[in-house]
Amino acid sequence: MSVISLENIKKIYELGDHSVHALSGVSLEINESEFVTITGASGSGKSTLMHIIGCLDTPTSGSYLLNGKDVSNLPRQDLADVRNKQIGFVFQGFNLLPRTTAVENVEVPLLYSRPVLPASERRKLALQALDSLGLSDRADHHPSQLSGGQQQRVAIARALVNSPSLILADEPTGNLDTKTSIEVMNLLRDLREQHGITIVLITHEPEIAAYGSRIISIRDGLIVSDTPNTPTESTLQDPPLVSDVAAAS
Amino acid sequence: MRERAHFLILAAQSLQRNWMQASLAMLGVTVGVGALVASMALGRGAQEEIKDQLLAAGANMIVVTAGNYQVERAQGAGAPADHGSIQREDFGRFIAQTADYYPSVKPFQFMQATAQPRFIKAHFEDDPMAEHDHPTASERLGDAMAGLGAAATLTLEDATAIRDSLPGVQFVASGVHENARIVVAADESRQWFTRLHGTEAELPEIRRGWTFPYGNFLSRRQVNNAEQVMVLGRVVADRLFGVSVNPVGEKVLLWNQEFEIVGVVGSRTWTAQPTAGDDQFDAVYVPVSTIHRLLNLSKLNTITVTTRSAGETTQISRQIVDLLRVRHGISDQMPDDFTVKTQAQELLGSGLSPDLARVVAGNMTSVDELTIEQLSSSLQRSNRTMLALLAGVAGVSLLVGGIGVMNLLLLSVTQRTREVGLRMAMGARGSDIAMQFVLESLVLSLLGGLLGAFVGVIAANVLETFFQWSTDISFLSIFIAIAVAVLLGMIASVYPARRAAILDPIGALNHE
Repeated sequence: MSVISLENIKKIYELGDHSVHALSGVSLEINESEFVTITGASGSGKSTLMHIIGCLDTPTSGSYLLNGKDVSNLPRQDLADVRNKQIGFVFQGFNLLPRTTAVENVEVPLLYSRPVLPASERRKLALQALDSLGLSDRADHHPSQLSGGQQQRVAIARALVNSPSLILADEPTGNLDTKTSIEVMNLLRDLREQHGITIVLITHEPEIAAYGSRIISIRDGLIVSDTPNTPTESTLQDPPLVSDVAAAS
Repeated sequence: MRERAHFLILAAQSLQRNWMQASLAMLGVTVGVGALVASMALGRGAQEEIKDQLLAAGANMIVVTAGNYQVERAQGAGAPADHGSIQREDFGRFIAQTADYYPSVKPFQFMQATAQPRFIKAHFEDDPMAEHDHPTASERLGDAMAGLGAAATLTLEDATAIRDSLPGVQFVASGVHENARIVVAADESRQWFTRLHGTEAELPEIRRGWTFPYGNFLSRRQVNNAEQVMVLGRVVADRLFGVSVNPVGEKVLLWNQEFEIVGVVGSRTWTAQPTAGDDQFDAVYVPVSTIHRLLNLSKLNTITVTTRSAGETTQISRQIVDLLRVRHGISDQMPDDFTVKTQAQELLGSGLSPDLARVVAGNMTSVDELTIEQLSSSLQRSNRTMLALLAGVAGVSLLVGGIGVMNLLLLSVTQRTREVGLRMAMGARGSDIAMQFVLESLVLSLLGGLLGAFVGVIAANVLETFFQWSTDISFLSIFIAIAVAVLLGMIASVYPARRAAILDPIGALNHE
């Protein structure tokens, strides 16, 4: 069954006397356990597409079925509940709450669960999520005490904690160095391979897009290519270590 | 609500993260609540003081006096408005003197009302012309003395009967009153003519305005054993031993008998300052039993009764009349051989300062109709201006505090737009976000309120200790002040919370 089913999605922004067509009719099916990477230049409409897939925004026209349920015209409150239960977000800027411990950050989505989870249950799930990402010894650290890679792993743990059917990652490696980017991408790939989680990832870097099982590229609000991909080992090159350079010379 | 209790923790955490701004906003609430608590304490203190003054002056008091004189008051003339209280006081003294020095004066006939008050003798036990259908006081008690306060018609048994058989009676104190010369035993050149009151241990309960700078009042044991102990009025203590000298333990002579001083009585309120010649503080107190023993008497001049509630004085005074008439065997045709006076009648002649008496009596048409409620409301009117001022200060402070809270929350919404966007992306509904801000405001105002209550209590104590302002802090007023602060916090949070709740998640997430 397809997790995401988009049918002729259009998004038009009215700006005074002229209108901007951010999406001009996108149709797309994404199945369970797919790792879809969406690439496109700035202004291509990939962010708008992600907002609609992430139920942060609703399309002007077209239909969107998420897990078979039409969410294209839901009121704000219901959209919030859909995001809470079915979608885990990973952002470029990590978006962790400052001066808040890692485990408390991971608990945030659980605070808004309906029905309400007891505090002990929230803490247990958050610690489990951190543990699965190898961060159990960092649970009580504040974001400022964590490296960029660790922060992004906390953010991924937060996206996973509610066991969503879909992970939406918006330029997740944008703020990371190459080595850490490889770590994070390998982690996402493992999540998909080991847990069958559906992942939609937006990036403008082809090397990152190459991790996907399917690569979609978008331009001027339309899908211009949609090709299956055999994920290869990273084409990203680690910069040579200072010690290696020193040894070689 | 209960299941969302974790938002409260969330709010507290969020305030902790912004503790600097939060504490500044809280300061406003603290000052406001502090001012409110302090002003309510001052207001209640003022009311309590008024009540104390009235009770000190005897507004719930009934005095039964031996003998029966009735002052006939002119209708509509000589009313209290033209300082009738002062006249009346002087007039009362005249009666007392007349009665003391001319015990066998002939009874006046009942006269028609004229412009001037006058007195008549309605029942003179020793009047040879009078016909008695009951045993006279002399026959009953074998005592030839008669006259107002000197008529031997009241006994300790009467006092006991009043105390034991009338519900609603609070305290009863028997009294024998004489003029006496008090001599310091160690130095007989130091002496003072003053009023001697034989009384019981309960008297301080009746004289609410009393305080004891040195020692204590007569104890029950001392009264029961008829011990030769004495409490000096402040004026007497000052005259005999000097100002601010503790005379407790010293010996004085009364009727050439040695008495040990056990205490000094002074006034607690500014309305009744001890002055030479007054009946309370230019006076000495000894057990009534001691006087009875030394003089070999059993008569009483007065029985002083207080009622539990001031509203009952009229009813209880009627019951006392009925009780004593039965006890004295007086038939329906004959007048009482005692006089029962209630509250305001006595009030104007007993220790209330003339200024205050004028304030009280100035608005009253008839002194007899005064009730304690009327008395206090009349006095409270003058206090209302000050209370309004204090309440104004508190109100403005609270308003400023509320604006501070609202300002903090608005700033917080702007600064934390990204956080709001993130929470919304994670599935927070608008109402969840709104509740977070409302709860933050509630926590802030509750903490500010609690702190403010603390500050207010301290402020009230400082005012009381260093400026001698009467204050009275009630738990209710503290509760009200905190409730007002919380309500204010809630109102202040409505607009910021709503602004946060309607934020667009995408815009909020991309907010820098």
